[in-house]
Amino acid sequence: MQQVRDIVVVGGGTAGWMAAAAFAKVFGTQAHSITLVESEEIGTVGVGEATIPPIMQYNAILGIDEDEFVRETNATFKLGIDFIDWRKPGSSYFHPFGLFGANIKGGVGFMNYWLRWVQSGGDPDFRRFIAEGEAARENRFARIPASPDGQLPRLNYAYQFDAATYAAYLRRYAERRGAVRREGKVVDVEQNSETGYIEAVKLADGTRVAGDFFIDCSGFRALLIEGVFKAGFDDWSHWLPNNRAAAVPCERVEDPSPFTRSTARESGWQWRIPLQHRTGNGYVFCDSYLSEDEASQLLLQRLDGKPMADPKILRFTAGKRRLGWVKNCLAVGLSSGFLEPLESTSIHLIQVAIMKLLEFFPMREVNPVLIDMYNREMDQLYDHVRDFIIAHYKVTDRDDTPYWRYCRNMTVPDSLAAKLELFRERGEARMLPGDLFSETSWFAVLYGQGLIPRSYHPIANALSEDELQLALARIGTAIRRRVDSLPSHADFIESCCSARSAATAA
Amino acid sequence: MSEPLDIVILGGGTAGWMAAAALVSLIPRTSCRVRLIESEEIGIVGVGEATFPEIRNFNDAIGIDEAEMMRATNAAFKLGIQFVDWGFKGSRYMHPFGVHGPVGMDHIFHHRWLRARRLGLKGDIQDYSFAAQAARDCRFELPETRSTQLDSAYTYAYHFDAGLYAVYLRGLAERRGVVRTEGKVKDVIQDPETGDIRSLLLESGEVISGDLFIDCSGFRSLLLGKTLGVGWEDWSKWLPCDRAFAVPSERDELSPYTRSTAMEAGWRWRIPLQHRTGNGYVFSTSFIDEDEAAASLMRSLETKALAEPRMLKFQAGRRVVNWANNCVAIGLAGGFLEPLESTSIYLIQVAIMHLVPLLPGRRVDPRLRDEFNRLIDLQYERIRDFLILHYKLNSREDAEIWRYCAAMDVPESLTRKIELFRHSAIIERYRDGLFPPTSWLSVFIGQGLIPEGYSPLADTMPGEALVTHMDAFRADILDRVEEMRRHERFIDLYCGAEPAVAPMGAEVRL
Amino acid sequence: MTRRIEQVVIVGADAPAWMAAAAFQRSVSNAGIRVRVIELPTLLQPADAYSALPELAGFHRRVGLEERLLFSLCKAVPIAGQRFSNWSGAAPPFIHGYDRSPPPAAGLGFTQLWTKGRQKGLRTEFENFSLGAMAAKAGRVPATEPGAELHATFGYNLDARAYSALLKHFSTSGGVESKAATIGDVEIEGDRITAIILGDGERVEADLFVDASGPQAVLIGRMAGAEFESWREWLPCDRMLAVSAKALKPLPAFSQISAFRQGWIGLYPLQDRTAVVAAYDSRQISDENMLTDLPALANLPIGGEAIVSGLAQGIRRQTWVGNCVAVGESAFTLEPLDAVQLHIAHYCISQLMTLFPVEAGSFPEAELYDRIIRRAAINLRDFQFAHYKLNRRFDMPLWDGCRDAAPPETLQRKLDVFAARGRIPLYDDETFQEQGWESLFIGHGFMPQSYDPRVDAVPEQEHIALIQARLNDIVGLVEAMPPVDNFIAEADPYRQVETTAPRVGVN
Repeated sequence: MQQVRDIVVVGGGTAGWMAAAAFAKVFGTQAHSITLVESEEIGTVGVGEATIPPIMQYNAILGIDEDEFVRETNATFKLGIDFIDWRKPGSSYFHPFGLFGANIKGGVGFMNYWLRWVQSGGDPDFRRFIAEGEAARENRFARIPASPDGQLPRLNYAYQFDAATYAAYLRRYAERRGAVRREGKVVDVEQNSETGYIEAVKLADGTRVAGDFFIDCSGFRALLIEGVFKAGFDDWSHWLPNNRAAAVPCERVEDPSPFTRSTARESGWQWRIPLQHRTGNGYVFCDSYLSEDEASQLLLQRLDGKPMADPKILRFTAGKRRLGWVKNCLAVGLSSGFLEPLESTSIHLIQVAIMKLLEFFPMREVNPVLIDMYNREMDQLYDHVRDFIIAHYKVTDRDDTPYWRYCRNMTVPDSLAAKLELFRERGEARMLPGDLFSETSWFAVLYGQGLIPRSYHPIANALSEDELQLALARIGTAIRRRVDSLPSHADFIESCCSARSAATAA
Repeated sequence: MSEPLDIVILGGGTAGWMAAAALVSLIPRTSCRVRLIESEEIGIVGVGEATFPEIRNFNDAIGIDEAEMMRATNAAFKLGIQFVDWGFKGSRYMHPFGVHGPVGMDHIFHHRWLRARRLGLKGDIQDYSFAAQAARDCRFELPETRSTQLDSAYTYAYHFDAGLYAVYLRGLAERRGVVRTEGKVKDVIQDPETGDIRSLLLESGEVISGDLFIDCSGFRSLLLGKTLGVGWEDWSKWLPCDRAFAVPSERDELSPYTRSTAMEAGWRWRIPLQHRTGNGYVFSTSFIDEDEAAASLMRSLETKALAEPRMLKFQAGRRVVNWANNCVAIGLAGGFLEPLESTSIYLIQVAIMHLVPLLPGRRVDPRLRDEFNRLIDLQYERIRDFLILHYKLNSREDAEIWRYCAAMDVPESLTRKIELFRHSAIIERYRDGLFPPTSWLSVFIGQGLIPEGYSPLADTMPGEALVTHMDAFRADILDRVEEMRRHERFIDLYCGAEPAVAPMGAEVRL
Repeated sequence: MTRRIEQVVIVGADAPAWMAAAAFQRSVSNAGIRVRVIELPTLLQPADAYSALPELAGFHRRVGLEERLLFSLCKAVPIAGQRFSNWSGAAPPFIHGYDRSPPPAAGLGFTQLWTKGRQKGLRTEFENFSLGAMAAKAGRVPATEPGAELHATFGYNLDARAYSALLKHFSTSGGVESKAATIGDVEIEGDRITAIILGDGERVEADLFVDASGPQAVLIGRMAGAEFESWREWLPCDRMLAVSAKALKPLPAFSQISAFRQGWIGLYPLQDRTAVVAAYDSRQISDENMLTDLPALANLPIGGEAIVSGLAQGIRRQTWVGNCVAVGESAFTLEPLDAVQLHIAHYCISQLMTLFPVEAGSFPEAELYDRIIRRAAINLRDFQFAHYKLNRRFDMPLWDGCRDAAPPETLQRKLDVFAARGRIPLYDDETFQEQGWESLFIGHGFMPQSYDPRVDAVPEQEHIALIQARLNDIVGLVEAMPPVDNFIAEADPYRQVETTAPRVGVN
């Protein structure tokens, strides 16, 4: 069998161009060819506008200069997500990037000491112990490294950007490196009669694009993975009932905040993603409880700036393709599954698929063992993210609408139920290797949603009270000092990566 | 459930039976078994027939009914000791079991008295001691317990037949489970490594083993001294008496006090009991020979002798420690101080009552042993110093013993006490052990040491008011004393060895 | 030469000097002895507080100072005991309550019954059998009948400056002469102070000089034979810090003593603020770092400047030389861990009164005074060092060092006998009695290995009943005790304060 040489990406948008750019960089186009087929007729969804820190690894692989990337995509920085009204109307909590506290000598996680402290009357505002949380609260940001004594790590962050601009940026990147773009709609697929492998896709204008390996970035339609290989779909709407999103950008009214806001609403939740040039908003909801018109109306009423377009409605079903990789076709992006952007995971799921594909990429024939591994690992990742998102709905005190009453009372996957029980017992969220969301994330969200642990690890009691108090005070002070040294988010952007300055320069 | 501790008491008499009675009464049989070995052949010393008020605590702890005990032992009450010719010829003072002055004022009272005296107040300091006055007048009643009352300013002890007391306790002890073995010890078997006493081999061949041994074998100190080799600390240079003759005589006036009369080579005791009077002469062979002493004693008896005088030999001093290995010495086996202040039974009792809470397990915890020894050290030293005081503080030129004692060196601590009292009328107070300041005061003043100064705190009252106050107080005491029953009458009613005709009723205050 | 003492001069400042003055005023001024105070500049800062043991009430009674004045003028808070935290790492805190000797049960010390109970599975903490500790926990003031069998008392936290001012006013209005001055020079011939020369040149002569100048020891420190003997081999703290913090509401009935890595910090509630004191070892932490850590350790909002001072714990080789007698911290100094600061002055003054020299010119009383004060000092030092010795904080230099140190022989014996049999050997001149030492030892987790064999003679049912009865008695007595705020309001009816009970009558 020949070596795999020709790679075809079916579909553009963030998924397609991230794949193309990554391949172009890693494999290069000397011995391989990368062809991306997209149609300008087909609109791209562009909902995934906030990200999580691992994206920096992707950018790093591509060698992208961060400041340039931020300028080009009108990006702002993101320190975490502010969840408003999720536990109950009037409540709020912050899910930060970064670590909770610092290591207190003793061998158990910081949250145990913090829980002990809160249980004996200490102040339950744990944002004080997370630099990202405090910085976000005060609208500050800068890139700072780990502290010289190793006590505090670097400030962890991600980006909020315009996904369409990001896709365009990556397209320029990929094309500069030799990726080829073909305009056109795929209307048919040719398979090998024996192996069933896809040999080519046929476009509407009759042209044929042949390849050795096909990446299905065709969105919800899943032309290849589902259309051809009938991989199947696990519907998760009983756990995640939201199936619509109304999205609309609005004018920027103030300095952009370095975090995303998610506000729980009567039948779903509303996002607010501040960019340099405008603010992105959306209402994710379930149409069994709210009509599309009503949702659009409510969204418009709740903007903090003038809308810059009409609300666009997106329809989706929460769930996952049963198999992400079949034969010589791998699904990336919405074709492989969909989880609402509550924790900004869409781009991450794309990135992981791409990274894994690069890792498992075949030289000649595709090895079924690798395909199995890939599918299992992606399953695990999807399940993990799914559980995390479900937790936001399940763990709540809200019962003010039928929607929330449903969420609060629904049964949840066993894996999540076990996690909740353990957390309720002792504030612990056992991590498996490779899990995306860390202990800090689970702690921030579950605690913030109102699940207060009954106890904590007993080793945390071995520290005498005065040592505990001192340790917490020292960490709090160190974090405070660190945050005090940060400029405002707006000033920081202005100083190094303002899109405006790029525009004037250009 | 661990095995009970086996305690073996070697020797009877007061020491042995007090120990036996206490152990068996206070500690349950599941925790200790008590066995006592004595031989009727071995004479019991029985000199200590006057006691100290603490004995009542002992009796209470064991659950002895006072009246019953007194009947069984021909006992009478004791309010103090009268010292005659001590210090100087013609002296006569009472060492009372009670304070001088009103209750709660004993810190300052004698300073006020000294001042009043300088202002012309007549009489003895004894006049201000309720116990002394009552004793002098042969009165007795049980004291009040409410501490503000005049009548609570004193306490009391007993005179009794120590032999009968031992018998009384033996009865009680055997009833409660002490096993008595008649026999004499032939040999002592020790553990070859530790030296602990494992068992006693009797002449009969019987072997008696035990975990803890109590040596009540008297002066011989068969276990502590002879077997374990604990050394002897000799105090005879301060307390030169080394013999005593004892002789009973017919019952005399039942005075509620012991009398101690200083003699040509020692001192004579007189202890009135219900059925007879106990007499004795404690003397030093350095200053008189035995025959002369016996004769002197017989000559001085107030009533007819009822037997020939019996002699005892002794030496003032003590075993260096009273508890070594697994053997505790109680009574004469541990040390001897002459009965000048009736401390013999007190020392027995104190050893027992310190031993009980510190009773070891099978293996002796040295911490318990060290603490016991520390407590007993304190007791011995403090009593010793007080006894030495009686001898030291004298101005008699008429006999060699007195000249010797006046001139002798005494322990530094005692010298300091005497000098401080002489200068400032200050008496140090201890937490543990004897004697309280009131006792020291009575001996100092009684034997002629009138302080040169007194505390300015006594100068705060106008002089006249002070004298009037003192007179009034003395009169109060006399009035109250006169109301008291006479001692003999009280004895008859309370615990007459022959039962009283009138039943005890409201007349007797208990 | 038998002239009586005619003139006594007290040199010093603050409470010790005025306590001495008040005592002299009461006891000897009617005896024709003139008393004069040379008042040195105060050592007190606004943040200072005195924490006093219950014994102080006896002193006030003897000199005729009304207790209510403490509450109305000195911001006093009645204190039923002190709570010790973190001395044993993460073990729970314990309260040393100011109990009087508890009555025996079945004729035996109650602690013995508790010890056996504990060995048989009784889980009730020892503290529950301390009337003072339970009162303190419940925020109540033990005001039981003095004649009652079960009886506890209370000490006081006092604003130091106010208390000193009160005593000064009390003494001077009672007739004690005083002059504010500094010491220029002290004329000494052999072991006699012939005169002190004040800063303004005045020459002051006296028959007896009382040094109440605190650790400065301006007089006794100059006498030959009165060198300072340090106790640093046992007691590590050599720095102190004092600052004020926010008042606690409601007012607790105890002071809080918490250990930390380099020493301990005490919170002393007063009516209008909380006095904070820290004692620490300069070898372990600098003053600067101590000030940085202070807010976290105090866990209370701090107000005002923290004043740092040196601390030298130890005793004068002789506390009375010739015609110069030291009372208070000029005689011996201890950190205020067990509220002993004023007690030291009180004890010395009491002994001085008992041993008041009968003549000017010779002082045989001095030798006995010195012995007594030394015994008392050693017993207090041992009590305080016992906290350090019994600590269970591991892997910290100060605490490891204290735990490993060989204690003084006097304390070692107490530890040995208590460990062996639950008994406390007490020497002459002890301030704390059996129940105080027991509360200290057991509170720190130091338990007896066996108990008095007489306890086994008590049948099990009776044993259980006695323990239960004692618990119930204490609960009942505590319930009837007034809460702190009410007690203070009653003690000083004219004070404006919110109480938990409604005020009837006025307004």
